[in-house]
Formats: sequence, C-alpha cells, structure tokens
Amino acid sequence: MNPLAIISSLAVSVFLFNVASAQSNPASPPGKHTVSGYIKEKKSGEVLIGASIYLLEIPKSGSISNAYGFYSITAPAGRYTLIASFAGYIQDTMHIDLDKDITQGVKLVEKLSDLKEVTINSKKRNENITKPLMGVQNLSIKEIQNVPVIFGEKDVMKIIQLLPGVKSAGDGSAGIYVRGGGADQNLILLDEAVVYNASHLLGFFSSFNSDAIKDLTLYKGAMPASYGGRLSSVVDIKMNDGNNQDYHASGGIGLIATRLNIEGPIVKDRGSFIVSGRRTYADLFLKLSKDSTVNNNSLYFYDLNAKANYKINDKNRVYLSGYFGKDNLGFGSNFGIDYGNTTATARWNHVFNSRLFSNTSLIYSNYHYNIRVNSGSNNILIKSYIEDLSLKEDLQYYINSDNKINFGINIIHHSISPGIVSASSSSSYNSQNLQKNYSFENAAYILHEYSPTEKFRFNYGLRFSAFSVLGPGTFNSYDSAGNITKSETFSGGTVIKTYYNLEPRFSVSYQLNENSSIKTSYTRNAQNLHLITNSAATNPTDLWIPSSLNVKPEIADQVSLGYYRNFNDNKYEFSTEIYYKNLQNQIDYKDGAELRANANVESQLLFGNGRAYGLELFLKKNIGKLTGWISYTLSKTERQVNGINKDLWYPANQDQTNSVSFVGIYQASKKWTLSATWVYNTGNAVTFPSGKYPIDGQTAFYYTSRNAYRLPAYHRLDFAATLLGVQGKKWQGSWTFSLYNVYGRENAFSVQFQDVPGDPTKTQAVQTSLFRWVPSVTYNFKF
Amino acid sequence: MRISKIKGLLILFTILSFACKKVISVNLNDTSPQIVIEGNITSNTGTYLVQIFKTVNFSATNTFPTVSGAMVKITDSTTGTTDLLTETTPGNYMGNTLQGVPGHIYSLYVVAEGQTYTASSIMPVSVPLDSVTFQHNNRFGTTDINPVANFQDPTGITNYYTFTQTVNGKKLKNTFVFDDRLSDGKYIRQQIFSDSTNINIGDTVSLQMNCIDLGAFNFYNTVDRVTGGNNFNSVSPSNPLSNITNNALGYFSAHTAQIETAIAQ
Repeated sequence: MNPLAIISSLAVSVFLFNVASAQSNPASPPGKHTVSGYIKEKKSGEVLIGASIYLLEIPKSGSISNAYGFYSITAPAGRYTLIASFAGYIQDTMHIDLDKDITQGVKLVEKLSDLKEVTINSKKRNENITKPLMGVQNLSIKEIQNVPVIFGEKDVMKIIQLLPGVKSAGDGSAGIYVRGGGADQNLILLDEAVVYNASHLLGFFSSFNSDAIKDLTLYKGAMPASYGGRLSSVVDIKMNDGNNQDYHASGGIGLIATRLNIEGPIVKDRGSFIVSGRRTYADLFLKLSKDSTVNNNSLYFYDLNAKANYKINDKNRVYLSGYFGKDNLGFGSNFGIDYGNTTATARWNHVFNSRLFSNTSLIYSNYHYNIRVNSGSNNILIKSYIEDLSLKEDLQYYINSDNKINFGINIIHHSISPGIVSASSSSSYNSQNLQKNYSFENAAYILHEYSPTEKFRFNYGLRFSAFSVLGPGTFNSYDSAGNITKSETFSGGTVIKTYYNLEPRFSVSYQLNENSSIKTSYTRNAQNLHLITNSAATNPTDLWIPSSLNVKPEIADQVSLGYYRNFNDNKYEFSTEIYYKNLQNQIDYKDGAELRANANVESQLLFGNGRAYGLELFLKKNIGKLTGWISYTLSKTERQVNGINKDLWYPANQDQTNSVSFVGIYQASKKWTLSATWVYNTGNAVTFPSGKYPIDGQTAFYYTSRNAYRLPAYHRLDFAATLLGVQGKKWQGSWTFSLYNVYGRENAFSVQFQDVPGDPTKTQAVQTSLFRWVPSVTYNFKF
Repeated sequence: MRISKIKGLLILFTILSFACKKVISVNLNDTSPQIVIEGNITSNTGTYLVQIFKTVNFSATNTFPTVSGAMVKITDSTTGTTDLLTETTPGNYMGNTLQGVPGHIYSLYVVAEGQTYTASSIMPVSVPLDSVTFQHNNRFGTTDINPVANFQDPTGITNYYTFTQTVNGKKLKNTFVFDDRLSDGKYIRQQIFSDSTNINIGDTVSLQMNCIDLGAFNFYNTVDRVTGGNNFNSVSPSNPLSNITNNALGYFSAHTAQIETAIAQ
C-alpha cells in the first residue's frame, strides 16, 4: 500500500473520529460530567504549562495542564472544590457545581519573592515521583536565570549540558550529545518547528534567546509516541505567548549582545503578541581598528522571535509564531558565509468538547547557508538549504482520571538542496547544481496514559513512521568500494523507496511510597535525516541527507530503569537511572572521504552499529536560600563500523567515562544572588599517532587504532553575581557579573602533532585551548 | 576548494583573543616499526628513486632506519621493459633506464626482509604549466604572498596535480594537492598555500607542478587531511591511503614534472 494512502486514510479516520465525538458522542459518560478550561497566570495572561489541578473531594482526580494550558477532569455529578496549584504561585480554590459539563478558567497569582521560600521548580512538587515518564528534565526560564554562562548570555542549550546524560560538544559549544547519541540525533523543536542548526557563531551561542522562551523539556529516553524522527533526545522549547493584560518591555545590554523584548495585548484578555530580538556586536570592536584588513571583517548574528495568539472564543484559539536568525561571518571581501534558520508555526487549538482537545499545526522550517569566495579571479557563490513543510494533528482525549489517550498524525515534506555552485566565467571552478532531494516523512501515533491503581502508572504507545524518497532525480547504488553499480532516473512525484518503522514506546512507574518510586521504560526511535559532517564540532556547512537507496534509517532501542526519591518534604529530589542503548545503521566515513560538493557523497559513507550504556545520578535542591543540583554520569559509548579500526568496537569521540556537574545558586540578600557551576569530565576519545615517518621530507604520522587516546580531563569553574538595582514600580533593573573559567584552566580544544619549530629532528604535541577567564557584565531591565 | 582551510582560519579568527597554545607531553604507545616505501618515476630523463625505511616511535628523533638489501624493480608494463634498481646509499634505490611515457602503466616490485610489496601507477598526460604569478592576501594587518599556478585543465578527463615550492633555493615541505573534480576544463588560477614560509617581494619562487594518477592523489590528499593529527577539520585522523600492497605505508607514483620560476612581486 502506498504510504501516502496509509497516512491519508489515517487522517480521514482521525477526522471522522473528531466529527463523531463532537456530534454523536455525549461528551461525558452517563452520570458523569467534566470540568475543563485553561490555567493562566493572572498578571500576564500567559498560559501555565504543567500546572496541577484536582478536586479536593476526589484526590485521585488530578490533571496536569497541557502544553497550551488546557486541563480536563471528569467526575460524578456533585458539588466540588477545585484546587489549582503551580509552584511559585498562590494556590487557587474554586467551588463548582458539576451538574453538567462546565468550563472553568483558572488564573493564578505569582507569589511575591520571599527569601525563606525560593522555589525554582515550577512543577507539582512530587511530579518526578508519580509521572511514569523517565529520562525527562524540565527547565523553566526562571530556574536557569541565575546560572552563570559564557559571555553572560543566558542559554538553555548550555544549561542542559549540566544535566546527567548530556554532554557538551566542546568548550563553549551549544551542541549536545545525549546518552551516547550523535550531535544530529537530537530533535530540537521551537514551537513545534524543527531547528536544524541550533547554534550561532560556530556553536558558541545557541539559537534560543532566553527572553523569548517559556519552557524547555528534554527527553533523554522514553519520549512519548507523539515525538519522532531522531534517535537520542527531544528538546522541546516553547516560546512565551506575550502578556495579554499590559504592554511591557524588557531587555539587556551586555558586552557581546543587546536584547530587547516587547509584549502586550492585541485585545485585552483575548490576544497578545511578543517580539524579542538580539544582536551581537563583536564586529563593532573590529571596526575600531584603523587597519582595513581588520575593520572590514564581519562577525555577528541576530535573531528575532515573534509570536501572537488570539482567542476567538472559548473553544477556539489560534497562535502564530516565528523565528528568524542569521549569522554573518566575513573575511574582508575575500570570503564570507551567512547562515540561519527560519521557522514559522500556525496553530489552532480547538476544544471539541470538554474532554477532547485538538491542536492542528502548520509548520515551516528552513535552514540555509551561502558562501561567497572572491579570491583573485575566483568568484564563487555556494548556496544550500533544507526546507520542511509539515502538518500535525494532535488530539488529546481525557477519558477519565485514570485514562487519557493522545493520538495524531504528522506529515512532513522535506526539500534539500545540497548545493548550487555559481562561479564566474573567469573562475577556476565550474558552476554546478547538485540534485535536490525530496522526501515525505509521515507518521501516525497513539499513546495511552493509564493508571490502573494508585501505585501503577503506564504511559505506552506506538508510532508508525513511513519515510518515502521521492523523485525526480537520478538515484545511484554503490558497491563497497564506492563504485556506481546501478543508476536509475525517476520522474517527479514517483515514490522511489519507502521505509516503514514501528516504534513502540513503553514506560511504567510503581510508587513505593509517597516519596519514592521505581520506573522502567523501553523506547524505539527511527531517524531518516542524517547529518554528514567532517568535523568534531558541527559546522554551519554540514550537510543533511535523507535516507535513500544506500542510506538506511538509523534505529535506536533503549531500555532504562530508575529509582526516584524525594526527601525532606520534597525539598530535595534524588534520582538515579541506568540505561542501555543499541544503535543500528550509524554513519561513518571512509578514509579520505570527500563530503564537499560531491554528487556521490553516499559512496563515501560507511555504516555500522553503536552501543551506549551508563549510570546517572542526580540530586537537586529546589527550595531554600541555596538551590541547585549535583549530577554525575558514568557511561560508555562505542561504535563498530566495518572498515574502521579493523572492524573492532572503538570508543566514540564523545565517550566521556566520568562526568560531574555542580550548580549552586545562593540568595545572599534581597539584592544579591550568587551562583557557581563546576564541571568535570574525562577527556574525549581521540586518535593520536603512535609512530612517524617522512614523506617527501615532511613528517607524516602513523596511527594504530581509532580513538584509543584521551584528551586531558576537562574541568572548569564559573561564577556569577546578580545585583538587583532600582526596583521601581515601573522600572526594574539588575546587573549580572560573571566570570567564566575562574581558575583559568587550559582545557584542550585540540591537540596537534608537528615538528618542533627550529629543530626538525624532533616532534611535539601542541595543545590549543580556548577560553580562559572570560569576564562579562550585562545590565537587564524591565518596564 | 580550500574552503576548509579558510574556515579553519575563521574559527581561529573567532577565538583569536581567547585561544592559547602550549606544548604538552602525551604518553603515546610504542609501535613495532612499519615499512615505508616512497617511489617515483617521472616523464623526464635522468634518475628515479625508490626509498625504503621504517617508522619510529613518536618520541624518537626524526632519524628513520633504512631498509637495505632489498630487490627493487620497476617495470613499464605497457612495453614489458624492467629496470632492476641499484642501492646507491642505504635504503635509496636508483635507476635510470626508463623514462615515463604518458598512458603507460608502471609497476613497482619490492622484496624486502622476506616480504613482497607491489604497486602500479599510470603516467598521466602532461598538462603544461603556463606561468607563476603571485597573490597578496591581507589578513589582520599582515600580508601573505602566495604563488598562483596558471594552467589550462583538459576537458573531459580527470586530472590530479601536486605542487611544491622552492623559495630562494630552499624547498618547502608542504605538498599542495589539487584535482579538477569541480574544475574540469577550466583555465585554472590556483593559489598554492603553504604553512611554512612567508614569501617576500623579490624572492625567487620555483613552482613544481606534477600531474599524478588517482592512487597517488588519494595518498597525497589523505596526507593533507590528516597531517598534524586531531585538528579542526577532521574528527579522526587515519593513515594516508597507500597504493602499495601488503600494508606498506607510502606510495608509488608515475608522474610528470615541470618547474616554472618567477620573482615574487
């Protein structure tokens, strides 16, 4: 059966289900009624994600507001007390008559800052114990705002590197490796749109301006069936909706960048907008130089987040959000590269009835880069992009307090242009147009949240994905030596190959007592877009390729087991998880692989297996003058690829045996907040030479095995202090001072081997390290 | 395209004010000596050389043990003529009876320390090097001068080139590799980069251009990528692709050779 036919029949059945439940089904079972609505923050009208709500008379009736702030509780007819809470907010109590299905909006008021009771965890206090999902970390912007970061730019991608199981792709890098996965195996979503290159300035900053972000959830394992397409993790980032009560502006002026954020109502209580922008200005310092070879270089990025929402009526709400970011690096007129992401999401929330919530999203995502080279007579322009258009339909059906079903479909159309090279006629290079790739990535999923008893909770589901390689184009098959064995040409619209994958997801938690639980899970993920890169850190020019006749979908199976325990009235939360992950169809490269502007790039690839396993410990203090966490990871990550390392298993580059982070935030006084982080990890696995020999008088190195050596251990202490300035009724200001790498550790970025300058009879190893003592100061304001 | 080099510079540029370098001591494993064979035959008249030696451990000085007493033969497989090379100094085997003819296949046959190694290389058609000019690159207040090779790449055939420079009589160590994968049939004006010597105006620069075959190109191209080890552009260095059998390191190349000299300006 044609995959499109399968997906469209699923779409039809989803639609029919909608119509059926909306029209013929009574919203609630006989004798029962439903209370539903949205939970919001009173002052700004921002919806609250993950707020807890329940009926006092039926404690088990609890519900958690979804990503749009919607909740639904079904109970027998009667009079009830509805209690809504969200950490950091004053609990709200309402009396309701449940004699019919009713709508009850909830508005919570933020608690005033109280020194004795600083709460950074915004979720229901013991949710970590009760929820069946494991390997999940949620961060609110509130929680991370005081953690020190490089250049003083608050950055969610840097903060998640401090969590267990998450490794940094290098000093100052926004790239992450999760539980032994690759840098391209993280699904990074901004308001549901995929962000293909989540970094600025070659990785030193992430694409996410913290002013524009409400909430981040990281799934390291057991991702719900509604997510798919990447093997290792999901980083689901949600943008702020904007204040629908009053106009506000906030911003910050730092050494590196300036930020500005404006929000306000479109129509009070019904709609709001938010616009956030930032720009770096490192290049303005270059302009100060009198030397024209310095001052005509450019080096900056900017990004813009914008979002608007409007409530049409109680049942319908629409959202429009967009992101636009651009980096520009230029080397005088000789060389320049610009690159950036653009995303746009249009969403429609529809409440069919008090128990059936629907979200329909239309999403656009684009990542592109342009390279300009003007060297002598060579004028070359290289353009490349990946562009997605997708439709998502997600339905949440609240059957009763023990059962919730979530199902939907997801259709993505990918267009990838690997490269268009335009060269002037005087150039030494030919113009060239690499064949574009088209594909459909479709999926249907269903998941069931089920709690048969107070102690057992299940979250299980199934995702069915179909990836179709589409024409037009010429498709080659290659033998192991990289020679073309078959070449076929297809016309536009032809489905050349479809890969089907069934991806089961299963998690269960068993609550041992009020304060502790154990959980276990199994997850399968398939990935059909693969990043081809020839560098250890990701580059803006890395190439995404789809699964094809030669490249099979990557598959990961992960099992994990965890123990969770809260102490001292949930003041401390502790968790430990162990995991084992098996990876198939992993991509590596032949020796001397030519990845740039190569029409036959697939002939340069090798395919193999991976395995990763580890132990993670996490202890967090949520409440008090001192908050923060300690995380420790013991892990092993290996690859086995025929054609590499004599076909034997070898450590992956990011295999860091031990990894530790400490994060501490101390509220010293009403004015001062101090914070520090310390990280330590085993150095990355690298390939160093064992011997050497001369080639044409130049020293060449002899290598024996892949990644058999280690870079020196990495460790670093960062410190930050925030001073609240004027706290007027309107204007609020604060200063943040930070020092990155307090004790100036020279961490190895790379190690190079070379002849000793001036003494050609000897060779030496030279370590390059990047950041020592990077101070920064930022002034933040709000009015 | 030397985009990776330019990108490497850009990364350096980004981190310029923060980066620092230092020599570190790394405890590297010892390895048993491996045989290295470096053999060339050119289209010019005169002698040609095959060198055989062994690798040493990284910590040793750059004195490489030579392999003496080997039998070294080069055969023009197209004509069937064989030259048995003579060991003139330890590890250096010379011959002079063959002269490379474009299109002919040359085979190397080595028996050393009881092991047999073979390789073959095809002499490419010569591409004339028209001239050497110079390009000035201004970067951060300093000016680099690089020679530029000017030549017409033949259309419809794959060509591989290497370039070496001699500045004021001193040969630079770098071998610059170029192929026409993205430039077939174009008039090439290629800047020849090196990382060892600064050229000043008035210097005498001799540029040697060799046309090489695919096997030799694969070798030089992978040397170029991996030299220096764990660097910005490659995740995991590995041994250059050798075109010699029996796991010998090195290469055997039948190539053309031309030299053009110019005064830097």
